[in-house]
Amino acid sequence: MKKTLLILTRNPLSLIGLILVAIVVFSAIFADFITPFPEHVGAVVDFVNFNKPPQWPYIFGTDLVGRDLFTRVVYAYRISLVLGIVVLAIAVPIGVTVGLAAGYLGGWAEYVLMRITDVFLSIPPLVLAMSVMGLLEPTLTNGMIAVTVMWWPWYTRLVYNIARSEKEEGYVLAAEVIGASKTHIMFREILPNCVPSIITKMTLDFGFVILIASSLSFLGLGVQPPTPDLGSMVAEGAKYLPDSWWLTVFPGLAILIAVFGFNLIGDALREILGIDQ
Amino acid sequence: MTAPTLKIENLKLGFKNWAGVSNVLHGISLHIKKGERVALVGESGSGKSVTARIVLGMLQQLKTARISGSVEFEGINLETLKPASRHALRGTRMSMIFQDPTSSLNPVYTIFALFKEVLARAEPGITSERARQRAIEALADVAINEPERVLDSYSFQLSGGMNQRVMIAMALANNPALLLADEPGTALDVTVQAQTLKLMSELVEKHQTSVLFISHNLGVVREFADRVYVIYKGNIVEQGATAELFANPQHPYTRALLSAVPRITGGGIPDLDDDPGQFLAPLVAHPSYSEKERLA
Amino acid sequence: MSPLIRLLAKRLGTSVIVLIGVSLLIFAIARVIPGDPARIALGPNATTEAVAALRGKLHLDAPFLTQYGYFIADLFRGDLGLSLYTNRPVMADIAQFLPATLELVIVSGIMMVAIGLPLGILSARRRGSWVDHTVRLVTLLGVSAPAFVWAVVLMLCFSYFIKIFPIAGRISDTFSIPSVTGFLLVDTLLAGDIKAFGNAVWHVILPAFALALSGIGQAARLVRSNMVETYDKPYIEMAEAYGFPEKRIARRYALRPSLIPSLTIIGLDFAAMLGSAFLVEAVYAWPGLSRYGVAVILRKDLNAIVGTVLVISAVFLIVNLIVDLLVSILNPRIRLSQRAS
Repeated sequence: MKKTLLILTRNPLSLIGLILVAIVVFSAIFADFITPFPEHVGAVVDFVNFNKPPQWPYIFGTDLVGRDLFTRVVYAYRISLVLGIVVLAIAVPIGVTVGLAAGYLGGWAEYVLMRITDVFLSIPPLVLAMSVMGLLEPTLTNGMIAVTVMWWPWYTRLVYNIARSEKEEGYVLAAEVIGASKTHIMFREILPNCVPSIITKMTLDFGFVILIASSLSFLGLGVQPPTPDLGSMVAEGAKYLPDSWWLTVFPGLAILIAVFGFNLIGDALREILGIDQ
Repeated sequence: MTAPTLKIENLKLGFKNWAGVSNVLHGISLHIKKGERVALVGESGSGKSVTARIVLGMLQQLKTARISGSVEFEGINLETLKPASRHALRGTRMSMIFQDPTSSLNPVYTIFALFKEVLARAEPGITSERARQRAIEALADVAINEPERVLDSYSFQLSGGMNQRVMIAMALANNPALLLADEPGTALDVTVQAQTLKLMSELVEKHQTSVLFISHNLGVVREFADRVYVIYKGNIVEQGATAELFANPQHPYTRALLSAVPRITGGGIPDLDDDPGQFLAPLVAHPSYSEKERLA
Repeated sequence: MSPLIRLLAKRLGTSVIVLIGVSLLIFAIARVIPGDPARIALGPNATTEAVAALRGKLHLDAPFLTQYGYFIADLFRGDLGLSLYTNRPVMADIAQFLPATLELVIVSGIMMVAIGLPLGILSARRRGSWVDHTVRLVTLLGVSAPAFVWAVVLMLCFSYFIKIFPIAGRISDTFSIPSVTGFLLVDTLLAGDIKAFGNAVWHVILPAFALALSGIGQAARLVRSNMVETYDKPYIEMAEAYGFPEKRIARRYALRPSLIPSLTIIGLDFAAMLGSAFLVEAVYAWPGLSRYGVAVILRKDLNAIVGTVLVISAVFLIVNLIVDLLVSILNPRIRLSQRAS
């Protein structure tokens, strides 16, 4: 683990990734201290300073009701990160357990579980999240539910493929011979062999969860105003192109930076740990 | 007298990495006369496989490789050739057989498609009919009974032994002057390996092909080779006629290597003379088997 | 050829099962959520009787499986019910909006393959060089932003800043093309109007490229990594040892085995564009399924939601079926043993 971290700091690309992610995480955690107008997170109106292009102290400019865009972008990061953590914290254990069960148990369990997974995988991810979201009320919690519903099957598929090949390995047969329980074999023998792949996918997915969540709110199916959200900021700003370009460009760049950072690290991890795509 | 088929002189190879250059070959010299079967024996990592790849010119394209010394093929120094002319020798005048025949045959093409590609190296624009005819003949030489069926199969449909025969047939199809056999058939089981080696042995004798036989398996080398070079950590440490070298090994490393072969009659695996320092002792050439004497 | 057909039949069977599963899933989600669709459709001022009447008409009071039974029976007649939002048959709505979306997605898919594959191949052939590093960095950037960000950025750059592409729509108002297939690129050609065709192409380029960017990145990265892996295989060394020309090795010996695992994922990415198309359509005012989809979702228009998702999933499954077919043609191991993984 330490060694992996060391290699990550050696490679210039993954180092950039680490720095980007550090910036994003740092600003999300210390948003209250680094933003000039923390009160602009809510429904504040300042018609004297509305729609200003980037200038001091509004380094990203202000929005149509005079709120500091930089402040809102930083707080949006906080919400995105929380969303990413919650979604993965729920989706990964579910997906991994189903995948382990289907891959190791085989037989009818495999057939039923994998067909159910196929059903989820054969609706385009965004469309599935959209329909779940639309049928519920558009709130942050429901946004998390919607993204979680579309996310777990990918882990099922990943773990299923590994479990299916690992169960033929000698160490699994040895555990069976000495009478280890099925749960022991699944979680204590096979699962550790899936961990590098799962960690790598989680790193990459952290960025993609942010990406999908922002897509939902871009369509008006996510976090509702006045809560700051990168996707809805871009959607709102797109109406005022090209004159108020900063309204879309900065939130858009903010998404790019966060996702790019996680992708750089995930990519490097994949290479270091020798994992196929 | 005619030039030897292959003559390697003072060949050095190193790979450049972040820490500098790590040397793999420290200046080895060997030669193979026409029709001669020469073995290069050593443990894995000793530099025997890279030697074959340098002869073919496959390592030169690596940016990190540092190569010096000379490789002469039928009297021509290969380094003086243009890359295109050197490339033209591959698959025509020189060819190669690999460790694992099955994974060396591309799984998405039929044996015939691959065969045709090989034949086209010597005869560009060869027609399918003619290629088929020649492939069938070549397969008959390696004792394949149903050449038509084999040609229309994919490598994954054939047994390892069958693929090895196909590989041998391909390697000899263009009647090369030099065959590089890199641990041929090590991936196969022992009896199949023995069968295919016997076949290869008969064929190279018939075609008067020179062979560089690379192996770590002393038993196989003893069966197959006329002469042996023993390589250890990038240096040739002993050379001589097969029978003599096996009967009377001189170099500490060769002795260790020979005593490492378990004997059925002995007490299992014998104690190894475990002082690698002495393995670095200078080259021992058996009487009248030094490079100078042999090439005179 | 017969194993191939058997494989296809098997896959078709699985697809139908999955499609039934999709319909059940969406139907279940639509039914368990709070809120009365009849009440939403009629508005807060409607009488209780009117709401009850509509509930009866929509079978909303029947048990779940009965409702699903009605739904499937209707589906087989090509009837997805009425949209409460447009007051028209959902089938008619989808038929109107789907072609524009499909046109956008197909053009994007072509861009993805036409740009992504060569980039990946180039990167793999020059692995380790600066060309490789540049391609990897640029393609990673491509996958790191959602399609709507690229749509906005491209629009700012190439419609406002440098005015070379139009801002919105599928075709300029000056053209009136009779709708035959709904695909403007086809209809303009059918009408024999080359100028209109050019105009439609001009309109589709920017949104399609915005939609394709992450697919291009994904395809290039995938092909590169699979091909680099293939380059380490013994059969590539064999091809090099026998002196097969480098170009031929790349095209025939390294690319084809690498395409097999790549294609499946590229198919999934292509299908995922059906979802991302919603984002691009919103930016470019592209008259496709997006506006309709978002509108019906916000209004809890059950029939329309179920119909839209079902149709999109069907397209998704068809794409995957075609990909499966391509893969089994490329991979003799599947073709001959018909053991699909």
